[in-house]
Amino acid sequence: MEKQPVSDTFFKLIDEHKAIIYKICNSYCNNKGDREDLAQEIIYQLWKSADRFKEEYKFSTWMYRVALNVAISFYRKEKRSKEIISFPEHAIDVEDSSHTTKTTEENINLLQHFINELNELDRALMLLYLDEKSYHEIADILGITETNVATKISRVKEKLKQKFLTINQ
Amino acid sequence: MTDEELKNIWKEYDHKLEEAKLLNLQSWALNLRSLEMMQTEKTKSKLNALARFKIFAVVLGVLYVLLLGLLVVANHFRNIYFSVSISMIMLFTIISIITYIYHIVLIHKINYSESITQTQERITILQTSTVNIMRIIWLQLPFHTTWFWSNRMINFNSWQGWLIPFVITFLFVLATIWLYRNIDLKNINKKWFKILFSSTEWTSLEKAKNFLSEIDDFKKEIA
Repeated sequence: MEKQPVSDTFFKLIDEHKAIIYKICNSYCNNKGDREDLAQEIIYQLWKSADRFKEEYKFSTWMYRVALNVAISFYRKEKRSKEIISFPEHAIDVEDSSHTTKTTEENINLLQHFINELNELDRALMLLYLDEKSYHEIADILGITETNVATKISRVKEKLKQKFLTINQ
Repeated sequence: MTDEELKNIWKEYDHKLEEAKLLNLQSWALNLRSLEMMQTEKTKSKLNALARFKIFAVVLGVLYVLLLGLLVVANHFRNIYFSVSISMIMLFTIISIITYIYHIVLIHKINYSESITQTQERITILQTSTVNIMRIIWLQLPFHTTWFWSNRMINFNSWQGWLIPFVITFLFVLATIWLYRNIDLKNINKKWFKILFSSTEWTSLEKAKNFLSEIDDFKKEIA
C-alpha cells in the first residue's frame, strides 16, 4: 500500500473489513467506551503501520495481526480495572435486526460471552478460527507454531461446546 | 454442538455486523481531536519524565559543585594546577545546572493547549539548548587531565615525566576542539552524534517531537 493511508483506498479497505474491528473490540472490551477507544486505537495503528503492509499478504491477515496486537496490549493495560460482563447483556452494539431470529440472537450473544471469558490468546485464536483462517495464517498472525495452533484450537473449541451444552441442558 | 454449528453462529454474527451502521469507523479515524489529545498526552508524559530527570541531575550537580568547592577550599590554592582545574570543572558544572534549570522552566511553561507548532518550537529550543550545553560541557574535558599536575612534576621530573601527561592533555584539547566544532544539529544523523546523544535526555525530546509530527502528518494526509 502506498504511504497515503488515510486515502480513500485505505478507508475503503478498512470499511470492507470493519467486521474484524467490531469482533475484536467486542471480544476484548466489556463496555462501549472501551470498545470505541480500542477501535480508534486500532484504526490509528493501522494507519501508522500502513506503509509496512506487504502486498503478498492478504489485507485481512495484516489487519488481524495489527488489530490483535493492539487489542491484547489494550486488554492487558485495562485488565486491572476490567469489569466482568453481565451475562444477559448484549455483547454487540448493533440494532436488533429483523433478519435474525431470537434463537440466533441468543446464540450469538452466548458465543460472544463465552469467547469473552477466554484468556487473551485463546480469544484471538477463536476469532481467527471462526473466521476460517487457515492454521498457517493463524500461526503467522499470532507468532506461534501450527501444531500449537491446532492443539489450542481443539482445546478451546471443546471448552466452548461444553459451555453451550451446559446452557442448553 | 458441531464445529459447523459454531461457525454458523459466527457467520450469523458476521452477517449482522455487515448490516450494522452504528459505528462510523471513518469518523473515528478522522477524529483528529482525539488523536491530538492522545499524542499530546504522550508528548506531555515524555517531557514531564525529562523534567524529572533534569531535576535529579540538578540535585546531583549541586552536590558535585559543593564537593568540588570543598576540595578547592581545602587546597588553599597550594597547587595552582589543582585549584584552577577543579574551579574550571566547577564552573562548567554550574553553567550546566543553570541551563538545566532553564530547561525545567521551559518544559513547565509549555502550554499543551497551544498550537502544535508552538509546542514543536519549544521542543526545538530545548533541543538546540541541549546541543549547546553539551558543547560547553565537553570543554571541561582537558581539565580532568590537569588537576594532578604540580610544579614539582614540571620542575624536577625528567622530560619523560611530564611529556606523557602533556601529550594526554594535548590530545584531550584536540578532542574538545573537535567536539565543540562538530556538535551541531546539522550532524544529527551522523553515527557518532547518535552515540553521543543516545541518553534518555535526548531521546525523550526526539520522541516528544515525533508524537507531534504524527499529528502534523495526519493533518497533511487528510488535507
